[in-house]
Formats: sequence, structure tokens, C-alpha cells
Amino acid sequence: MAKRVLDVAGVSKRFGALEVLSDISFQVEKGETVCVLGPSGSGKSTLLRCINWLERPDAGQIYLNGTEIGVNGGGIVMSDRELSRIRTRIGMVFQHFALWPHLTVLQNLMEAPVQVQKRPKAEVRDEALALLAKVGLSDKRDVFPAKLSGGQKQRVGIARALAMRPDLLLFDEPTSALDPELVGEVLVVMRELAREGMTMVVVTHEMGFARDAATRILFLDRGRVVEMASPEGFFSNPATERARQFIQRYAGRAANGGR
Amino acid sequence: MIHDFGIVWSERGLLLSGLGNTTILSVLSAAAALLLGFVLTPALMAKQRWLSRAVRGFVDGMRCVPFLLFAYIVYYGLPSLGVRLDNWTSGLVALTIYNAAYMAEILRGAWSAQPREPIEAGIAFGFSSVALFRRIVLPPLLLAAGPVIGNQMIQIVKDSAFLTIIALPELTHAASSIQSRHYVPFAAFITAVLLYWGLCLVIEAGVSSIDRLAAARR
Amino acid sequence: MNAGDVLAILQGAVVTITLSLTGILIGLPIGLGLAVLRWADVPVVARIVAIYVSILRATPLVTLLLLLFFALPNVGIAIGPISAAILALVMNTAAFNCEVWRASLMNFPKDQYEAAQSVGMSAPLRFRRIVLPQIARDSLPGLVNEMSLLIKVTPVLAVVGVVDITRAAVRIGAETYDPLPPFLVAVALYAPIVFVLVSLQRWIERRQIKAEALA
Ligand SMILES: Nc1ncnc2c1ncn2[C@@H]1O[C@H](COP(=O)(O)OP(=O)(O)O)[C@@H](O)[C@H]1O
Ligand SMILES: [Mg+2]
Repeated sequence: MAKRVLDVAGVSKRFGALEVLSDISFQVEKGETVCVLGPSGSGKSTLLRCINWLERPDAGQIYLNGTEIGVNGGGIVMSDRELSRIRTRIGMVFQHFALWPHLTVLQNLMEAPVQVQKRPKAEVRDEALALLAKVGLSDKRDVFPAKLSGGQKQRVGIARALAMRPDLLLFDEPTSALDPELVGEVLVVMRELAREGMTMVVVTHEMGFARDAATRILFLDRGRVVEMASPEGFFSNPATERARQFIQRYAGRAANGGR
Repeated sequence: MIHDFGIVWSERGLLLSGLGNTTILSVLSAAAALLLGFVLTPALMAKQRWLSRAVRGFVDGMRCVPFLLFAYIVYYGLPSLGVRLDNWTSGLVALTIYNAAYMAEILRGAWSAQPREPIEAGIAFGFSSVALFRRIVLPPLLLAAGPVIGNQMIQIVKDSAFLTIIALPELTHAASSIQSRHYVPFAAFITAVLLYWGLCLVIEAGVSSIDRLAAARR
Repeated sequence: MNAGDVLAILQGAVVTITLSLTGILIGLPIGLGLAVLRWADVPVVARIVAIYVSILRATPLVTLLLLLFFALPNVGIAIGPISAAILALVMNTAAFNCEVWRASLMNFPKDQYEAAQSVGMSAPLRFRRIVLPQIARDSLPGLVNEMSLLIKVTPVLAVVGVVDITRAAVRIGAETYDPLPPFLVAVALYAPIVFVLVSLQRWIERRQIKAEALA
């Protein structure tokens, strides 16, 4: 049996009176690419933010490689230091890139590995340069993020997350903020990662990517897991009416080239 | 006239110590005001209404009071409340507290204009508390606020001249002493003016180098 | 401190307000004139104005005031505390106003100016009818801001013997051996004036932003 990287068990989250996530459970095995689909406002971002405790879940547990995140034995909430050590195991790629504007591309990649993980600078640097080559941005290493195109920024965002050598990568709509013609270059990198066996949870509206890069689809609606299926099963034979409507709408929009 | 400047030259020790004191006063109080500003700014934006209102009251209040009156109150007024400070301490305290209000407002403006996502990314990448603030939050904040902070430093240099009225031996006080000792008002005060100018040009040079750093990152 | 003392401070307030208004009213057009000289890039003169502004912006008002008050009589120009005070305020505020006016002039759309030229308006007419109304509007918040800064430095005028709010307060403090109350009265007089100007500036800015959003 493959190694289990992530186990989300009965997670719920509410903002005031609004129940954003209710009783979410799913597992991610090593090497899987799980795509999270769902209409906007269904709680996808909140789910990702709960996984690395950027948002504190109200109920349920989250395990990374078998270790519970957020609380110690006895139910005591972890200290900032303990939380941050676990967060370094989980890479995150943001919708609006969230690169650090005061650092060059190379420095963005090296910042957390050197400052947080305390790894040797020379080693981190070699690895960072290799990652930049991998995402095709070797020539941009000394440029500041503001001087990059959206697609380039997001490729740096992915390389920055990889530089942490994470066990799990989270993507929150990585291509939603990009001009249509720049989406492709980012998806190429993500497909490559999926093929190499990186473990990923990807929130996306790119149905093409979900169809042929995902190992499983998780369909979220109003904070609940409505479907959990293989891509073929989900797209050709959705079990619920909600999912069917969703697929139709997005397929139509994709055909129009809109987003 | 040349002769007058000769007299000022012969008193250069006094003038230079005045310039030194002005510089020390300005640098110390600017640094302290900036630090205080970093404490006040989060309070300005606090969710607790009583706290943000109280600090807002202090900041807006200070900005409506002339610095000279504030310095008078600290030096001459506080003793009636049983607090007696010497002129150096009074001057430093007055400059610091007064300008902390301005710094807090400057930092609040720069802070609220900063995007949240890079900070969130810092947390997601395992930064916390001091390291998060020092490595992720602070550098872009200082780059953005640098020019305005520089302007405020020039203001502090000029405010420090008011402290001549509590006999603090800063640059204007030194020029006054030379003028009353030798009766060379023009030479004495013009020299002081030029020294103030030089001080501000140094600050402006600092500001434009920060600005260059910021422009490269915009 | 008695009622007579408060009255004395109020009399000082009349002096403070009169001097401030005089400084503002003279400083405004001079600032505009300096800005135009720089904007038109008049050879040598523009350079001199730039240096003047740079020096004045760096000069504390006390230092400038002491210079004028002591040095002018020395070169044969008789000057009393009041005239020294007004001259210092004007020299100071004109430099700051110049920068405000100049920023608006630099922002002024060139094509509008050329359009006025193309319909045959003379240079003075162009400036008065086309440029001035628009840059006045654009400069207003900055100019009001400068007014509040000017009022905040007026206590310095007491140094050369102008009997304003501050000097009255100092005198009463010395007579009663209790300086705190008169200073608090002085602050209570200054704060509302500055507050009104600061609020006015914010109000104008907000209104202009709204008007721009509609346009
Ligand atoms: N910090 C927050 N405070 C209050 N409500 C929030 C917060 N974050 C998200 N929400 C609400 O939770 C719901 C789900 O949001 P989100 O997880 O961002 O959805 P999605 O990413 O699927 O579009 C939305 O209704 C949103 O308005
Ligand atoms: Mg979202």
C-alpha cells in the first residue's frame, strides 16, 4: 500500500454564522494529484488554509505523514514554533503569487530554506538554481518579482514552494489570476510535477488539467464533499446533479475561452 | 563681512558641538519615535475599539499641537506635576513623543497599503513572530515608507532648533551664543542655516538611495 | 491664573492669527510666482529659485527669524519684531507653497495649454484663464496643509518679542509660578484652529477623489 501523506478527518470550519466547511474527510496517498473542484465560495480556499493551519479548524483532525497538525497529544494547540516547523513540510502556491517583493527571484527561493529550515546556504543555492532551470527561469534569477509577467511569477511561486522540499504541495487556483495566454506555461510545470510523483492538492477551474493530470477529483459544494471520484468517473459519469451542472457550466465556459 | 566669518571660524568648536548635538538629538529621537511608532501603529489598527480610539486621539491630538508649546509644557509645565527633567531629557522626550505620533500615522498608511498575501506566504512557509516581522513584513514596509520617514526626519531636525528656548546647546543655540558674544549676527546665523541645509541634503541623499532600491522592486 | 490672564492670552491670539493670515496671504502668490519661474525654466533665475527653496525648506523658522531680526539692522535695515516675524513667515511659507504649486504645474496637461495657444490666447491670458483655475484646485489640499504647518510654527515668533499667544502664556507662567495652566490655554487655542485646517484638507481631498471617480 502506498504511503499516506495527508489525512483530513472530519474537518469543519465556520466564520460566525456561516458554516464554510462541514465534516470534510479525505486522504491523499504519496504521489497523488488530487484536484479540488467546486463553485466559487464553496470553501476550497478555506480547506487549503485549514490544511496548513493558516486557518484554525473548529473540529476534526489533519494528519501529515501520520502526525497530527495543529494540536499536540492531549489536545493542546501547538506553539507558533511547532506549527511553523510543520508548515515547512507543506508547500503552498497562491492565486496572486504572493512573492516577496523586496527579494530577487533567487532570494525568494532561498529565503525560507535558509532562514526557517536553517539549511546550508550553498546547498540551498545549488538546488534553487536547478529549480529555476526546471521552471525555465534561469535567466531571471537576479530580477525582482515586479519585473516578471504573471506566468513567470507563478512559475517562481512553484519553484519557491519546491525549494522547501515539501512532502505535500497545495495550489490555490494557481492560474486564475493569469491572462489566458499565460495559463499554459504554468500548467506545463504542474503536469511535469504530477508526472514526477509530487504529492499535490490542486484547487483549480482548469477542467482540462483536472481531467488528465489528476489521480482523483474532490468536488466541493457549500462546504461539503459532494463527490470523490476518478477523473474519468467524475467527468463522464458524475454521480450527482450538482456535479453534472457544474461540469456543464465550466465545459461551456472553457469552450468560449472565458473564465 | 569676511572679518565676521573669521570670528565665526574662530568659534568653530562651539558651532560644531552645536551641530553635533543637533545631529545626536535628531537621530536619537527619530529612532525612538520610529520604534514608538511601530508600537502605536498596531494599536491604531487594533480590533479593540477603546484601544484604537485612544491611540487615534493621541495621534490626532499631537498633530494639532505646535511642537514648541509641547516642548514648553514638558520642560516648564511638568514640574508643577512633580516631574522635573533636565533640558536634554526634556528635549529628547518632547521630540520623541511628538514625532512618534507622526511616525505612527506614516507607518499606518504604508502598512495598510501593503498587500496581505506575501505576509500570508511568509506564515505558510514557516516564518513566525520576530523572523516574520523582520524578514517579510519590515523590508517592504520601510521601502514604501522610506521617503516619508525621511521628510519627517527633516522635520525633526528643524523641530530640534526650537529647543534653543530651553537652553539646549544645539546648533541654533550655538549660533545665538556666538552672535551675542561677538555681535556678528549675519555670519553666525547664515553659517547655522548652511549647516542645517547640509544636514538635510544628507538626509535627502539617504532618501533617494532608498527610493532607488524601492523603484527597482516596483 | 485669573480672567485677566486668559484675556491677555486671547489678545495674544489676535496677534497670532493676524500674523498667520498675513503670512499666508503674502506667501501664497509669492509661492506661485516662484513656481512659475521654475516651471518656465527661466535661465539662472530658475536655478536660484531652486536653491532658495532647498535652503528655506531646510531652515528652522527660529533660525531664520533670529537671522532676520539681528542681521538686518546690522546692514542698516531697521526692522521690528512684527516685520521680522512677517518676513520670516513669508520667506518660509513661500518656499513650501512653491513646491506645492510647482507639483500641480508639472501635472498640468500640456495639450490643454497648446489648445489654448492654438485659439490665439496670449501667454498671460492662457495662464490666467486656463492654467491657474485648474492648478489652484489641484494645489488646494497641499496649500491648506502648508497653512496648518505655518500656524504650528508661529509660537516661535515670541522669541524676538512678538506678544502672541505663546509670549503671553510664558509671561503669565512666570508671574504666577505655575506655567502649566497658561500653556494648556495656549494649546486649547491652537488645537482647534489646526484641527479645522487638517479636517478641511481631508474634506477637500475626499471631495476631489469622489469628483474624479464620477468623471
Ligand atoms: N476570513 C473570513 N471571514 C469570513 N468569511 C470568510 C473568510 N474567508 C472566507 N470566508 C467565506 O467563506 C466562504 C468560502 O470561501 P472560500 O474558502 O474562499 O471559497 P472558494 O475558495 O471556494 O471560493 C465564502 O462565503 C467566503 O465569503
Ligand atoms: Mg478561493
